[in-house]
Amino acid sequence: MEFAAFAERVEELEAEPADLETTAIVAGLLVDAGDDLGTVTRFLLGRTYPAHDDRTLDIGPASCREAIARAAGPNVTADDVEERLAARGEIGAVAAGFDFGGQRGLSAFGDGRSSLTVAEVDGTLRELAAATGEGSESRKVDALFGLFNRCDPAEARTLARLVLGEMRIGVGEGTVRDAVAEAFLVETDDEEDDTANATDGEGDDDPANATDGEGDDDPATETDDEDGEDGDAANRATDEAYAAVERALQVTNDYGHVARLAREEGIEGLNGERIRVGRPVQAMLAQAGTAADAVDSFGEVAVETKFDGARVQIHYAPGPDGFGPRLYSRNMDDVTDALPEIVEYVADRVEVPVVLDGEVVAVDDDGSPLPFQEVLRRFRRKHDVDRMREAVTCRLHAFDCLLAGGSDAKSDDGSGGDAAGDDRIDLLEEPLRVRHDRLVDVLPDAAAELRIVDDAEAVARIESAALEAGHEGVMLKNPASAYTPGNRGRDWLKRKPDVETLDAVVVGAEWGEGRRAELFGTFLLAVRDGDDYEPIGKVATGLTDEELEGLTERLEPHVVAESGTELRIRPEVVLEVGYEEIQTSPTYGSGYALRFPRFVGVREDKSAEAADTLERVARLADGEARAADGDDADSADAGPS
Amino acid sequence: MFKAIVSASTLQDALDSVSVLVDECKIRLNEEALSIRAVDPANVGMVDLTLEAAAFESYEADGGVIGVNLARLEDIAGMANSGDLIHLELDEETRKLHIETDGLSYTLALIDPDSIRQEPDIPDLDLPAEIVVEGAQLDRGVKAADMVSDHIRLRVDETAETFLIEAEGDTDDVDLELAREDLIALTAGSADSLFSLDYLKDMNKAIPGDAEVTVELGEEFPVKLHYGFGEGLGHVTYMLAPRIQSD
Repeated sequence: MEFAAFAERVEELEAEPADLETTAIVAGLLVDAGDDLGTVTRFLLGRTYPAHDDRTLDIGPASCREAIARAAGPNVTADDVEERLAARGEIGAVAAGFDFGGQRGLSAFGDGRSSLTVAEVDGTLRELAAATGEGSESRKVDALFGLFNRCDPAEARTLARLVLGEMRIGVGEGTVRDAVAEAFLVETDDEEDDTANATDGEGDDDPANATDGEGDDDPATETDDEDGEDGDAANRATDEAYAAVERALQVTNDYGHVARLAREEGIEGLNGERIRVGRPVQAMLAQAGTAADAVDSFGEVAVETKFDGARVQIHYAPGPDGFGPRLYSRNMDDVTDALPEIVEYVADRVEVPVVLDGEVVAVDDDGSPLPFQEVLRRFRRKHDVDRMREAVTCRLHAFDCLLAGGSDAKSDDGSGGDAAGDDRIDLLEEPLRVRHDRLVDVLPDAAAELRIVDDAEAVARIESAALEAGHEGVMLKNPASAYTPGNRGRDWLKRKPDVETLDAVVVGAEWGEGRRAELFGTFLLAVRDGDDYEPIGKVATGLTDEELEGLTERLEPHVVAESGTELRIRPEVVLEVGYEEIQTSPTYGSGYALRFPRFVGVREDKSAEAADTLERVARLADGEARAADGDDADSADAGPS
Repeated sequence: MFKAIVSASTLQDALDSVSVLVDECKIRLNEEALSIRAVDPANVGMVDLTLEAAAFESYEADGGVIGVNLARLEDIAGMANSGDLIHLELDEETRKLHIETDGLSYTLALIDPDSIRQEPDIPDLDLPAEIVVEGAQLDRGVKAADMVSDHIRLRVDETAETFLIEAEGDTDDVDLELAREDLIALTAGSADSLFSLDYLKDMNKAIPGDAEVTVELGEEFPVKLHYGFGEGLGHVTYMLAPRIQSD
């Protein structure tokens, strides 16, 4: 596919406000993508690599501006580009505003100037992602300059956004998921549809009332195919198809791969995808909830200590042709090298291929848990791992098992005659109870205890004990539930005794004043609303000079635009903030405002996509309203404290 | 099979001429010469290097191709004093290059040549003007241009028989006029092209000040810069595509 054709669709998508139409355009694009289907799918989401892949493009905004300046040439500097960016606020518009192509290529003197293809752009981006070492930054700029130089304005707009991973075309993961189903998994009853439209075109001017004009004006009961309204619904796929795409995405985290699979092998192919050692899946998430909720909806409740640590997914296949152990964060970043003792621990004890879910906590010399901040001192560390290992001891608490080698692998004939590699078992669909049993089989020492109870009082007792032991609280899980990667469903509930905090994304900042004029002083926070981020308040208190310094340093590379003392910041960094209250308010785009927000810490382990949502804010605000009405039922569950 | 001994300074000069354009390259180990051809990632600049067998103290090769990380190889070569000899030997089995100099031995992992970007076919260009100039003169022109602009214009005045190096900045301009007597040789012809200094600066960096540089130039055409090193047994040709001159 020509890159120009892709860019044209991207412009179309940007101009399209309606969700259904957007999905239809994406579906059409996927159908037309041909051999480039995988790449096109990823590009739509602003990605070069699938989400589970640890590689990233790693091109800073500064390099991108430099490449644009060179392609815009003569005597356009990166500073000029930055100025335009400050004025226009968006790199795509800036790139489209220049007239590229002034630099001729050597091949132009051979076979004429060739247009860019999607495959070529992908190839070049991957090449420059792979460049490392001394001088690689300038080489990346060279390669990027070469691409921009061959772009027309629409292509330049798309390329600039793609490089910085911010497509801004209203196409989120949900849209792509639906579009894949609609592009490749809709049964073809096209002919019928055509005749339907043809009849419509005849007599009636108003398709909404097109139904036989007789008695039934209720479209819901209308099942025949002559209803004008079915025109849209005809591209809808079946629920089974959407579910198959969704499930395949959950286990592979590769939109490009899933799109290809849907096209080539259909629903059956998608359903054949299994969780695999070495390919991390998104972590299953929990909602906040009460013990009464849990008892009401689950009947029996599986209660587990909630560890104040960092989530890890462990992938390990023992043996000479094995894999790992490797550890992934909840964002699927590889954190193996930072936690050598967990790696050794798993390698020493696990004898069959596994994928485990758990929490790594920091402990003191007595084995008592230390606060979350301590584990973060270890988690993202690339240097001085050994020294920090001395300073902070980490321990694994595994609580779920997503895959485990055959059940008889370690019983009876100890020789393990049949290759352990072939009878790996995907446990995602199994009930929690069964998964936990397998966990105890494969790694008894680190398996977190799971206690099954059936009344709220028992939950409260376990919770008190957990709190007393220094843990954060308890998790309440449905013992019959499957593991659903990436879903914040109702099957897992977290019961926190403390006042809630919010994980919000920094989308803006203001320079400080006086002594702090060199640092950012105030941070504009936002929560997630679909693919957008809606502001909810500003935090300026609770920060030490040292923390301000750290945050300034961390945020500076993400600054998108600056006007006066205000900065716009790309949503990347997540802060945990406390607050007194959530109020509805017209001040911010979210419709809510945090009262007395205060900085608690940086959520190193969370990406912007994992920040709290507007939906959660609405729920919290709702809950507060109820509590204020004197409905104290919730706090009764907390037990004595 | 590849086994060679070469003086450190010759190897360093050879590697420098390529590393200004690319990080990785393919080295062809032909019987009579070692050669490298590489194009920068944007397909704007190219280098073509030949180091004849006679430039080595000893040289044995049978036509293989290896891929190397240039920065790594340059670092190793840089460990030798310029008078030292460097021994190179390819281990066919492990696909590693053994490098030895003055007691220091280094084993360099090679890169799969197929993973290195393919250079496009470059047509032979017959360029109308040819200027032979001292490296130091060219260097002066490039440095002066760099003070005011990020582009440099190279042209020949056919009637005055001069070679002109010019740069136009937002506010300031620079002109360096080299008459026939300032040059080693001049074949006047219709020649006027604009080039990106980003590239020409890098190429200029590798050209020794005392080298005789042959500049081949045309009207809105790529420029070719040719020079020799290593007692005339090493040859480098750079080719750089022009920018379109707007007015």
